[in-house]
Amino acid sequence: MPDAPVVRAESGLIPDDTKFDIRLESDFGDDGQFALRHLEIANGTVRVTEANGATSFTIPIAEIKSARNEPLVGGGRLEITTTGGEVLPIISYSQTVAAKFSEAARGIEQLAKGQPLEINIKDEKVRCPKCDRLLPEKDGICPACVNRGKTMLRIGSFVQPYRWQMAALATLSLVTTVLNLLPPYIQGQLIDKVLKQGKDFNQLYMLMAGWLAILAINSVLQVVNGRTIAFLAGRIAADLRSAVYRAIEFLQLQFFDKKQVGAIASRVTSDTDRVWGFLVDGVPYLLLNGLTLVGIIGFLFYTNAFLAACILAPVPIILGIGAFFWKPMSQMFHRVGQKWARFHTQLNESLMGIRVVKVFANEDKEYAKFQDRNHELRDAGVSADTRWYTIFGAMSFFTSLGGLICWTVGGTMVMHGQLSLGEFWRVTAYLGLVYGPLQWFSQVNQWFSRAMAGAERIFEVIDTDKENYRPEGIKHEIKGEVTFSDVRFGYDKSNPVLKNITFTAKPGEMIGLVGKSGAGKSTTINLICRFYEPDAGTILIDGIDYRDIALQDMRRQVGVVLQEPFLFNGTIAENIAYGNPEATLDKVIEAAKAANAHNFILSKPDGYDTMVGERGGKMSGGERQRISIARAILHDPKVLILDEATSSVDVETEKQIQEAIQRLIKGRTTFAIAHRLSTLRNASRLVVLEKGEIAEIGTHAELMEKQGKFYDLVQTQSAVQEIIGIGS
Amino acid sequence: MNAADLQLFYHPKDRLRMTVGEDRSYPTVKPVWAAPLSHPEKYLSLLDGKGDEITTIPDPASLPAASKVAVDAELYRRYLTADIAQVIHAKTEFGATYWTVDTNRGRRDFVTQNLQENAQWLSPVHIMLIDVDGNRFEITDKTALDTKSQEFIAAIL
Ligand SMILES: Nc1ncnc2c1ncn2[C@@H]1O[C@H](COP(=O)(O)OP(=O)(O)O)[C@@H](O)[C@H]1O
Ligand SMILES: [Mg+2]
Repeated sequence: MPDAPVVRAESGLIPDDTKFDIRLESDFGDDGQFALRHLEIANGTVRVTEANGATSFTIPIAEIKSARNEPLVGGGRLEITTTGGEVLPIISYSQTVAAKFSEAARGIEQLAKGQPLEINIKDEKVRCPKCDRLLPEKDGICPACVNRGKTMLRIGSFVQPYRWQMAALATLSLVTTVLNLLPPYIQGQLIDKVLKQGKDFNQLYMLMAGWLAILAINSVLQVVNGRTIAFLAGRIAADLRSAVYRAIEFLQLQFFDKKQVGAIASRVTSDTDRVWGFLVDGVPYLLLNGLTLVGIIGFLFYTNAFLAACILAPVPIILGIGAFFWKPMSQMFHRVGQKWARFHTQLNESLMGIRVVKVFANEDKEYAKFQDRNHELRDAGVSADTRWYTIFGAMSFFTSLGGLICWTVGGTMVMHGQLSLGEFWRVTAYLGLVYGPLQWFSQVNQWFSRAMAGAERIFEVIDTDKENYRPEGIKHEIKGEVTFSDVRFGYDKSNPVLKNITFTAKPGEMIGLVGKSGAGKSTTINLICRFYEPDAGTILIDGIDYRDIALQDMRRQVGVVLQEPFLFNGTIAENIAYGNPEATLDKVIEAAKAANAHNFILSKPDGYDTMVGERGGKMSGGERQRISIARAILHDPKVLILDEATSSVDVETEKQIQEAIQRLIKGRTTFAIAHRLSTLRNASRLVVLEKGEIAEIGTHAELMEKQGKFYDLVQTQSAVQEIIGIGS
Repeated sequence: MNAADLQLFYHPKDRLRMTVGEDRSYPTVKPVWAAPLSHPEKYLSLLDGKGDEITTIPDPASLPAASKVAVDAELYRRYLTADIAQVIHAKTEFGATYWTVDTNRGRRDFVTQNLQENAQWLSPVHIMLIDVDGNRFEITDKTALDTKSQEFIAAIL
């Protein structure tokens, strides 16, 4: 097996003798081993060819009725249904190429129906063309080959507005370096020229005055330096955070589906920290210490080359230790960080769920879990620190060795008269300045890499596809006709959640969306909000493809009331006016009245100025819901969406909310999802979804009469409700 | 349903069918593991063509021998997870980990990111790696691998 070829899943070159409609590379052989195979569609046939070129399967398109993708674990399978009704699995593929095979299935269906081939198979780069490494994201950046210079330049662009301050900082560093080198020099002079000869008090005072001047200047410089750094750090950090946050705001929702909120937030906080930390602390520090080192080493050699060479002999050893142990050490500290994260998660979870813990009398079990995490953390911390102090001990031995060598060799030289006492003093003083920064220098590379990694993660966000805002798009005053035309959509392109959706909602109509959980109701609504856009087909608003309308302009005319309404931490009035901040209190009250919220708001001590708490936590579910309805009323959308708006409240509150909703939907095109089907009785029409397809459309009465899917759903629900009724 | 009464077989060639005793027959059967990570090789659910459960077998070893062979073949087709037999090379660079492994399905290169989430420790020795595309690579028992592989794993995870 070791010599087996490495299977690559990128698409191969297309030989130029045949004109293929579709040619795709798959990565699983017939026997389930990784292997190279091709799906080829040409000249009216679908074929599978093996790595050796042999054809292992063919079927004429004329014999195909339909094609689909069967999802498997870690991949999928293309299946064909023949005109004879037989289902044939024809080729399996990994997740890596699944999206392409999903397009291929559509393509086969189009050809089978005699339609023109309209698919979109992107030929994405899977490997880096430069270094041949696999790319973490197809067509994405190769983290190993990103142009460091370019990244540096981009980071540099954040410094650009502050270039004068940066230049000042660099100059200050330079001056400070020189000034730092002076006192030992003066001390040397003092010993050799003044103390030895005895009586020249004037020279002594002169030198001391010089020293004092240097100290004074140095302190002033330090203050200026510190202030410049504070100025730069604050501003560059804030600029970076703003740039990243602004970029994130405009990203497509897909990005938020894939990544956890915490991970996204860390790009705004810790990744930006790494970058500005490096820019503002790191670069000057490097500059200062680098210059000092060069200066001192030069000075040491200038004073006495032999002594300098002896003293610096342990330096390579120290650098070596640093370089050798830095990586395992940083891994160990990284692990401690991870254990902290796990510990926090556990702690948060058990405290937030403390009621559940108590009700199940699970205090002991939670304590045991806590102990597990706590001990993990302890052990990781102890082993990292133990190692650290061991290495540190070894390092400091070699560091102190410098002093020992200095006194041994230097002392001998002084006694032999090869070195003056003043020179010796100078060398000893400089020694301390060399070894301090040295221990730290071996980590520079790591520091730099971390900053670069942070920068790349930041730029990745900044460079990720934005939502299709189309600010140049049509500004359209929506009347309210919404048409779905053969819409297909999947969160994961290889697995459509909605298929063949076609219907029209006329202005002012209320459309009820009905179906089992997971049927695609919320997805339909996500498409209407344009959180996602259809993979195929079109959604038209007043006959215009909604992708041609400027996004924000369109969204301003769409309103949503969700099952779990999200309120922002602020007052009730602010939340109601979220979509129209300039609305007067009169308008806010009017909306609250229409939402049946006015009375409960007045009963709060601060009325409309009551704080709702984080995420609206201080309000009850029904209160939150009515505030969000008031928000929607004030927003006055042309298209209104209600996603299970009444599911999480008691019957009395539901009545009030229903009333409010009746007022809200007047004159607007409304799409409503309701858990209790009876609440959709007064919808103009119901669209019944089943597994992502429309099963039935009609009024409540028509569908009940028809005794189809909707009737079944209603029957099931009333049966369930009866059971619940008996139970309670 | 008694597992010993379930006859599973391919007919036609690519379709797994099932008959139960004399009276019932399912033209399409999809076997899925109910809890593949916590109870590997146990709790096998059989679904019909619509994805509804027909039955769940707590211990698939109790199936008739021929049925077991057919089910295993279908499971191998449905679970494209690869079992890692040897880690040839693995290196973390710039936040991505590049792997070259030998598996029960042959050799493969893949990349993982964010190993905190994408390397799941199912037990102290059992690891599931999920690559950037969602493909799965399993190490059932890391202590059973050769030393070199274990060193790679220790260095990275
Ligand atoms: N953000 C998402 N990412 C991936 N899959 C999703 C996402 N949201 C929903 N789904 C899947 O899409 C299907 C339809 O979901 P949804 O539209 O929410 O159903 P409904 O609202 O009718 O209960 C489900 O199988 C669900 O698991
Ligand atoms: Mg839903």
